[in-house]
Amino acid sequence: LSKDSNVLHFYFSEARDRLKQIREEQSRSSREVVDIWEQFLSYFSDKLGNDVWPVYEQVCIAACDCGEISLAHRCVRELNRQFPKSFRVKGLEGMVLEANQRYDTAEHLYKTILQDDPTNSVAEKRLVVIYKSQNKIKEAITELRKYLDSHMADTDSWLELSDLYLSQMDYAHAAFCLEELILANPHYHLFHQRYAEIRYTQGGTENLLEARAYFSQAIKLNPNNIRALYGLFLCASNLATKQRSAESKNMKYAAWAAEQISQLYRKLGGRGTKSSSDSTEQIKALGGMFDKLQLTSS
Amino acid sequence: MIMGLSMDKVVVCFGLISLAHSAYSAAQHRAYLRLTEQSFTSLPLDVLVQCFVSFVLTCYGIVRVVGKFKEINSATELEKRSWETMSNRPAFYCFNHRGKSLYRNCEEEDAQLQQRSFLKNS
Repeated sequence: LSKDSNVLHFYFSEARDRLKQIREEQSRSSREVVDIWEQFLSYFSDKLGNDVWPVYEQVCIAACDCGEISLAHRCVRELNRQFPKSFRVKGLEGMVLEANQRYDTAEHLYKTILQDDPTNSVAEKRLVVIYKSQNKIKEAITELRKYLDSHMADTDSWLELSDLYLSQMDYAHAAFCLEELILANPHYHLFHQRYAEIRYTQGGTENLLEARAYFSQAIKLNPNNIRALYGLFLCASNLATKQRSAESKNMKYAAWAAEQISQLYRKLGGRGTKSSSDSTEQIKALGGMFDKLQLTSS
Repeated sequence: MIMGLSMDKVVVCFGLISLAHSAYSAAQHRAYLRLTEQSFTSLPLDVLVQCFVSFVLTCYGIVRVVGKFKEINSATELEKRSWETMSNRPAFYCFNHRGKSLYRNCEEEDAQLQQRSFLKNS
């Protein structure tokens, strides 16, 4: 019997740690969370101690994601019993309403939260999401801009705003949001990369030059950023066809980026379990792909 | 490389001994002043110079001995994060997506399958 309980304890701690890992990584593995909870951890909820409350919150959001409204309701009920007047729990309640597509009720709930606590950022953000879920992107944008007027340091919101603008194909505004993010986090390569991608999408020689610079900065900050290397390759080879005078330099940049990419692939191929012939074949395929990319850009 | 490292170690040793020697010289000077009943103004120049030079030598040697400098990289922590985790914003989760029907259908199908196999068996 003790062996059995040991095994159970092992599974229990594994499940608990996995949920914690998902929470910390902020990955959206909602189905996994719900499965872990329903099939295992819900039977041991009293064993979690005080850790149970963040788990309830996590499971509630995951359940909303999977459309399991009854499970979400159960979580909110448990949390409500523990924290009767918490705004955070009320926010969760609103999320469940949203998942149930009762947007008017949810909006009303968020507005009452905001009346009691005008600085509640969760409620304000959820109002934006309500518009977004109803595909009223324009309203969502105006709401989010209003929020950002008072919370200018909120990087998540700037990213969200840029995504909203991108969905409207408003590249200039989306680029501005990324500029704000780069100002806030100058050492984060992904923001540079994203900004360069937007500029690349806008097109035109000037934007391509800008994109090339920002892709280069992203590579400088993280030499293993394959996407930025590809971006630099595309920008440089594109510019090479446009600017005849500076052709030689752009070709050099493109060749450098291609070389870096194949080097990275070689390194990863050596590390993996695949045989060396496999990786050389892949690198050959890579070379062929670079030729094709150059052809399409000319 | 090994030769260089041992050279550096010699430099460190020499610097430390020289530093100790200059300290000893300074103490000697103070003792001499006390015996001859002169008042203390400043240390003699050779002791000061020896002290300074051996200090610089020790610093140089230690920096060489402890190993190569590493680049200060502000982005090492950020390098590991991917765009997927970065662009995942829990505060902005929107639930109006395919997950609802996707998983519900899954479960219903599972239930139906189970029912069917149950009927077959019975």
